[in-house]
Amino acid sequence: MSCDTIKIMIMQNTSQSGLSELEALFKSDSFQLLQTKPFQQIYQIYSEISKIIRGNLDSQEFLEFKPPLIGPVTDPGTRGSKQVEIDFYGKSYKFMSSAILYKQYLAISRKHSGYPGKIYFFADNLRMEPLETASTDRHLSEFVQVDLELVDADHFDAMNVAESLVKSIYSGLKPHSGLVSEVRDYFRPFSRERGLIDLPTEIKVPSTFKKITHEEAVEMLQVKLSEDKDVRGVIQRLFRIKPNKLSKETELHWEYEWLLSSMFKEPFFIHDYPRGARGFYDREYPQKPGYLMDFDLIFPYGYGEAISGAAREFDYKKVIPRMKESGENLKKYQWYLKFLQMHGEPTSGFGIGLERTVRFFCGLPKVYFALPYPKVPGMYNP
Amino acid sequence: MLDGYPYKQIIQKARLGRKAIFPYRNTQNPLSVYGGSSLKNSSDIEKIVLAPPQFTPHRLAKSIDLIFREPDYTDVDLRSVIGGFETTGPFIQASMGSPDVWNQVSLASARTFASLGLIIGIGENVASTWGYDQRIKKQQPSFVERILTYFEAEQEGIGGVVIQQNEEDATDELWNRIYSDKRFDEFIQDGRIAFEIKGGQGAKAGLGGEKLVSRPQALKMKEKYHITPDPETVECDSYERHSAPDIYTEDILFNRIKKLKNDYPRLKIWFKTGAYRDIGEVINIVANAKSDAITVDGREGGTGMSPTVVMRTLGVPRLASLNLFELKKKQFPHLSLITSGCITDGGDVVKSLALGADAVALGRPIVFSAYAYPFAEQVLSKGLLQNRLTASFLFLTSRLLGRSESYIKRYLETITLESKMLISSLGKYNIRDLGREDLRTTDLTLSKYLKIKYFLDEPSSQTENLQDVLIGSEMENQNANIPESSSV
Repeated sequence: MSCDTIKIMIMQNTSQSGLSELEALFKSDSFQLLQTKPFQQIYQIYSEISKIIRGNLDSQEFLEFKPPLIGPVTDPGTRGSKQVEIDFYGKSYKFMSSAILYKQYLAISRKHSGYPGKIYFFADNLRMEPLETASTDRHLSEFVQVDLELVDADHFDAMNVAESLVKSIYSGLKPHSGLVSEVRDYFRPFSRERGLIDLPTEIKVPSTFKKITHEEAVEMLQVKLSEDKDVRGVIQRLFRIKPNKLSKETELHWEYEWLLSSMFKEPFFIHDYPRGARGFYDREYPQKPGYLMDFDLIFPYGYGEAISGAAREFDYKKVIPRMKESGENLKKYQWYLKFLQMHGEPTSGFGIGLERTVRFFCGLPKVYFALPYPKVPGMYNP
Repeated sequence: MLDGYPYKQIIQKARLGRKAIFPYRNTQNPLSVYGGSSLKNSSDIEKIVLAPPQFTPHRLAKSIDLIFREPDYTDVDLRSVIGGFETTGPFIQASMGSPDVWNQVSLASARTFASLGLIIGIGENVASTWGYDQRIKKQQPSFVERILTYFEAEQEGIGGVVIQQNEEDATDELWNRIYSDKRFDEFIQDGRIAFEIKGGQGAKAGLGGEKLVSRPQALKMKEKYHITPDPETVECDSYERHSAPDIYTEDILFNRIKKLKNDYPRLKIWFKTGAYRDIGEVINIVANAKSDAITVDGREGGTGMSPTVVMRTLGVPRLASLNLFELKKKQFPHLSLITSGCITDGGDVVKSLALGADAVALGRPIVFSAYAYPFAEQVLSKGLLQNRLTASFLFLTSRLLGRSESYIKRYLETITLESKMLISSLGKYNIRDLGREDLRTTDLTLSKYLKIKYFLDEPSSQTENLQDVLIGSEMENQNANIPESSSV
């Protein structure tokens, strides 16, 4: 396919050429796509969103830090994904899959110095995700997470920050609405193929974000699944997997997150996940054992998870048994446990996936279209 | 005068110090890692006999099933579902790990178990000792090879692979690596892999792993383990590597299983544990957390490189956990209960099943079968393996002749045959029909605690009648049609 053909294909949204042709071209010769207007417009929106996020957080007195690239440990709470190890002068170090433990370290140190204990990173993360995530449309091995932490706050405070941040992206993109709607128009037919619902042409700042508990989310899905008998077939066809078991006791699997997300028109929070669903650092409700003080922000129209966050467990005596629950080696975390013992105090925070945010606002069928050289599990690109 | 007094052991300890503690270190016998010297079998199991009845309503029912032919032992059906895997028989290759004598023949075992439609376990440390997918030593297969060899030889859709991860493997994130490895994706999607949490091991319940390592290894492992003597300051042939036992409370165990089910939704989750006194509680928790299977080693099993004193004194015999199985099976029908520890023939197998086990795990019988070469008995019985030359001769023969696979196969076929014969003698043709009524004991105390009839008791007046048997089997068929777990 020549450069002109693909341009025409995208510009005209011709129905003969579907997403699979577009993907095949990206895999064989991505440069042909990168030099087209729609792809460059995505990168422009990527840059705008980054500016908006920085503006919003700076105005709330969050201080941007450079995140660590490697460290003796990284976030072990990422389901089934493998960390990347490097030999650091004879010691085994990990590339950050998330700098979650280091955020606590910095936020608390900043508060102790007399400044507001609010910090953020634009953090590069690397996760060798399980292969089945290659078909979720929203997993990357290499991605940027805007990661923030605030002291003396619980998960509801963090949800407030998240809501204001996401709303600021809506309003911040308004001056660029021409650009945004052009991109959305280009990709709409492709996105429909992936079970995504058409985004409205106009950007409208949403009202207050809904909050539902994990348990309520599962119940909504149970109702949906019992009413709509075709859904399981749709999941199999779209994602080429057998749907997982839906349970109140585990994390919402991504196929159900897609389904739930497609039932909403505005971003919403799911909070209070069951204890087994997350890492040792998500705090358990003191008065509601078995449930965590944590949350996800879900984009609507089928785009799924944008943010994961929580109030942190800061009592090292509670962290130790939680670490054993996930089979961790305590020795590896000595520095962190000592830090908690000496300086542990309440913090909360979250990370927002930058490429996922770009994907949502642009209405892209696949998250990897948000990057010129994406790393998708099992797909070998430059 | 000194008869019966363990003066030799005392002198050994006085002379050698801590070196006298480990049998492996003293003998140089590579197979003694499988408990050669200090093994003692529990004789209690020998006091239980299989007691066939004259009246056999199941046999009559089976003949009706077979359209009026007298059934024989070949009609015994050993197929079942264990820990989420379909299998042709209740024999599992125990999760054996990295000892070199075993690893060397592990591919032969993987092929044999796969071709027979049986489940295998892969123990700890294989990837860290012999390489994840590249061989570290020419004749030692890597971790990935052991799994892929199994799936290459499998009967379509039957059997499965159970994989352990210990602390060292956890540092290398073995499970995550498997879960994101393209080569395993198909088997993960088809639900053919289980991860097995290790809560303990028979002969050394409550202790961590013990191993002897070379100096370069010791220096590398210094950060993760307790190494004696300190390899930085003392130079010697081998160093003791002690790993700490994992920490469990009821809460930790329950949530650990939950977490694994959350993190690896496509896999089965098994739990392997040892000769602990609180196994009843452990089974309750493992079942409530919805694990798929539990394997309980008696003190007779899982010898590993255990200190002599440990093998002599530590842990509860296998019968203690086996005794609980029948009741637990009624309470938790979804949990497969597996017993292990010195099970060597069809008799041990059928007794275990009659007491409530769903399957047995075999470790050492598979290792010794793999080395069933000419003169193997002489080499083993005369302790000739202590001689490096004889030992090398045996291993060389094994490599040259390459017969391990057919030896293991013959052994498995033989205990299958034994089990079938014994089960049919009880007038039963399905392993699910076996029960305590099929056993008698020659020991009054065992009779009392195991609730098995004493052999001098009055014969039972409550013989099952044909009608009950037929109704029972109909209900079972109906149950079999219910999908195992409705997904939503």
